[in-house]
Amino acid sequence: MTRNKNVEEFLPMTPAMFQVLIALADGEKHGYAILKEVARRTEDTVRLSAGTLYGNLARLESSGLIVESDARPAIGLDDERRRYYRLTEFGREVAVAEAERMDTALSQARAKKLFRKTRLA
Amino acid sequence: MAHIAPTSNLSLSQRIFRGLLRTLPADFRANFGHEMEGVFAEQKREVETRGGPLDFLKLWWETLLGIFRTAPREHWDILKQDCAYAARMLANSPGFTVTAVLTLALGIGANTAIFSVVHSVLLRPLPYHDGQQLIFIRQQAEKVGIADIQFSAHEVNDYREQNRTLAGLVEYHGMSFTLFGHGEPERVSTGVVSANYFDVFGVKPLLGRTFEPADDRTGAPPVLVLSYEYWKNNFGADAGIIGKTFELNDKVHTVIGVLPPVPQYPDENNVYMPTSACPFRSSPKMSENRDMRMMEVFGRLKPGVTLPQARADLATIAERMKSEYAKSYPESIGYGATASPLQDELTRAARPTLLVLLAAAAFVLLIACANVANLTLARMARRERELAVRTALGAGRSRLLRQLLTESFLLAFVAGVLGLAMAYGSLELLTQFAARLTPRAREIHIDAGVLLFTLGAALGTSIVFGTISALFARANLASGLKEGSAGAGAGRSRNRMRSALIVSQIAFSFMLLIGAGLMLRSLAKMQQVNPGFVPQRVLAMKITYNWAKYAGVGQYALAAKKLLGRVEQEPGVLSAAVSSGYPLEPELISAGPDSNFATFQVEGRLLQPGEAPPTTSTAAASPGYFRTLGIPLTAGREFADTDDHNALNVAIINQTMQRRLWPNENPLGKRVSYDDGKTWTTIVGVVGDVREFGLDRPPISEMYVPVAQTGGMSTLIVRSAADPEAIARRMREVVHEADSQTAITHEMTVEQAREESLASPRLTATLLGLFAALALLIAAAGIGGIMALAVSQRVREIGIRMALGARPADVLRMVLGHGLALTFLGVAIGAAGALALTGLAKSFLFEVTPTDPLTFAGVALVLLASALLASFLPARRAASIDPIVALRNE
Repeated sequence: MTRNKNVEEFLPMTPAMFQVLIALADGEKHGYAILKEVARRTEDTVRLSAGTLYGNLARLESSGLIVESDARPAIGLDDERRRYYRLTEFGREVAVAEAERMDTALSQARAKKLFRKTRLA
Repeated sequence: MAHIAPTSNLSLSQRIFRGLLRTLPADFRANFGHEMEGVFAEQKREVETRGGPLDFLKLWWETLLGIFRTAPREHWDILKQDCAYAARMLANSPGFTVTAVLTLALGIGANTAIFSVVHSVLLRPLPYHDGQQLIFIRQQAEKVGIADIQFSAHEVNDYREQNRTLAGLVEYHGMSFTLFGHGEPERVSTGVVSANYFDVFGVKPLLGRTFEPADDRTGAPPVLVLSYEYWKNNFGADAGIIGKTFELNDKVHTVIGVLPPVPQYPDENNVYMPTSACPFRSSPKMSENRDMRMMEVFGRLKPGVTLPQARADLATIAERMKSEYAKSYPESIGYGATASPLQDELTRAARPTLLVLLAAAAFVLLIACANVANLTLARMARRERELAVRTALGAGRSRLLRQLLTESFLLAFVAGVLGLAMAYGSLELLTQFAARLTPRAREIHIDAGVLLFTLGAALGTSIVFGTISALFARANLASGLKEGSAGAGAGRSRNRMRSALIVSQIAFSFMLLIGAGLMLRSLAKMQQVNPGFVPQRVLAMKITYNWAKYAGVGQYALAAKKLLGRVEQEPGVLSAAVSSGYPLEPELISAGPDSNFATFQVEGRLLQPGEAPPTTSTAAASPGYFRTLGIPLTAGREFADTDDHNALNVAIINQTMQRRLWPNENPLGKRVSYDDGKTWTTIVGVVGDVREFGLDRPPISEMYVPVAQTGGMSTLIVRSAADPEAIARRMREVVHEADSQTAITHEMTVEQAREESLASPRLTATLLGLFAALALLIAAAGIGGIMALAVSQRVREIGIRMALGARPADVLRMVLGHGLALTFLGVAIGAAGALALTGLAKSFLFEVTPTDPLTFAGVALVLLASALLASFLPARRAASIDPIVALRNE
């Protein structure tokens, strides 16, 4: 696993990748749960399929942004096929950096009066 | 390990999904495959319970897209990693890398070079608009074995007016005229063509215009079109050339256009003029006589017309002509007309040679591949540990193989680039070589097709030797971690593979060497051929008179006599003559024996019905011709000054003609006629046979007539006491003194002409020999390498043997014997292969059989000696092993 200490290398990030990171922000999940949450939270604008989800997960894992989690839920709720993933510290840093980047962009747009209507608060 | 359901338990959708997963890299699949199946299963369940058929389709669509987006990205990532790793590995073993790259580069370079010629000459379409519609039309006299008769003016017109399948039919003949008004009188090669010649070829002028029908009418003002090269080289690409006038012989021609730089067929000419401007072509003799033939004819098929249709059309016209003009086309000669694609015509001579060279180059590449495979296998042995460790750490087997193949391809790619550079560097040499075989040589260059070929060659070779090494890597990944040297079983099978490679290398080298050897023997035989005359110390010059000044044969004779008189007075000149040509002159060789043939009848002999009339090649010669060239007189007399146009028509024949027509009689005094009995010619002498058309072509019937009676003095031949080149300059002056308006071209000694005639087979033999030597070098290196490796592997065994009493000489013999055994096997297989291919070689060889035992024995000896030499060093090292040291170091 190659760990890159340089956060900037991951910015800007594709929406799908960012969404996966956010999905793991509040705790570890398995693949299907990530997929469902991303679809729900983005109201189906970012739709992941098995291929794109695991393509992203593989990338994130090899870059050290996420790891396979050792903790399993209680026996009975567990399905052996499911692997759980959690965000690493580095992964959290990168997600934060991306969010801040988007925030900066948004502020700049607002400052330049890009938005006519005050639809976005 | 997660539980993976067997395929038979899955639903159709799940089975399809599992199949789709196979597009992903194996490692990825191993890592995430069953998770992905789980996710897909859950997605499907949700759609089935809550969605409709549309949602189902949507799921499939997204899934497909997702996989087809992810798979290429993953493969690409792996490729990048593998390439970086491969580059590091290759850099770590520079010896192997450099050797492998060089070896492959030589092989790929040779193939690319030859292929660029093959591609440009044989495969690419003609550089003319719709070039495949252009055809070459010829008349034939099948029953007398003449395949290509030129056309007369009447015949050209008949075919042009009566055909229904051609969009255009044009004539061409080449002449040389003397150009005045631009420095010294200069000989210009001239193409005399129909007005629509360039239109049929689809060539647009660079400057000005090309000919129009009005230019070709009798009495039209003479015009000229210049070729691009001539315009550039002789007039400095002067844009104001249009409208300038030049005197060609007796007419003033106006330049109306300049051609673009296109290859010119059938000859490269300096200028072109319409048929009406050529004094010969437009003379009454040519235009009124159906039997005065000197033109070549090309045509363009109408759109949608096929070649067989055109051929049938031409055959019909030929039949019609036979019935209308029975005298010109007697039934007995089997007259007909046919056509072939122009591209074929222009490449026919080159095709066999080029294909042989391509095959030879392919052999070299195979041998190089085998070498690199051997090197790679040896390297594999050293890397076993590394590979085993990586396997233990989790690298999948297919991933390792993939990486090995990437390494191979990187090697081959670099070799390919190097090989391409080598081929590029050799292009000029190749172009000169090919120029002797085809006018398309000037089109040779490296283009996209050649690049693709190089890439293919690199890919192919990398697959070949990469697969071999990958196969053996796969076999012993597990055993690699064991202590000590490589696992015995794997090592043995690897050694067997290596031996097999060596044997195959030797077999291919043998076949290549046989090919080269046979060609060299063939060449040697040609050099030894007695040409029938004495070529040493004879100078030949082509001279072009201002024809217009000489009105008739009588005046020619006077001019010839005047010239010869002056020449023979010069110091250093033993004898001189003028004639229509000389044996082995380049133009004669390329024109071939069909070019001068004439049919005739023998007095007192009637032809049987259906019997073909006798034919002969004809030449004009002055008295002293045979003496000057050293052609022996075997009966009768030579021409004399008294044989002029007022005297009896005489001729001298050669022995072949005598044997054919008067085998048991004395030919002297017999008479022949070639104008149907109107005039008769008496035979006054017989001379020895001469090889006119090439040292490898047998002499044919030849009839000589005096220059004073028929004209035709285009060549001056001078035998000198010393070096002919020393008197060349003086001879030129003498010719100009005799008539300042003659142009001299193409002077060479007859000895040089003879060497020239061997140039093509010599070059082919040289190239083949080069390839064979290369192959031998590579194979010998291979043998040396494997011997050295075998010795290093058997150090312990040898040590034991020596400790048990084996002498160094025994060890030497053992190692050498191993090398020789492999070589013997390779020679045997190679000999079998060479014998199998003998049929193909026959047409290339001259007086050498393809199974020539001398060559086979010689090549076998060479190979065995090379193998001995290559094995010697390793053998000596084995013999000098100190058993104590060997047994101590395990």
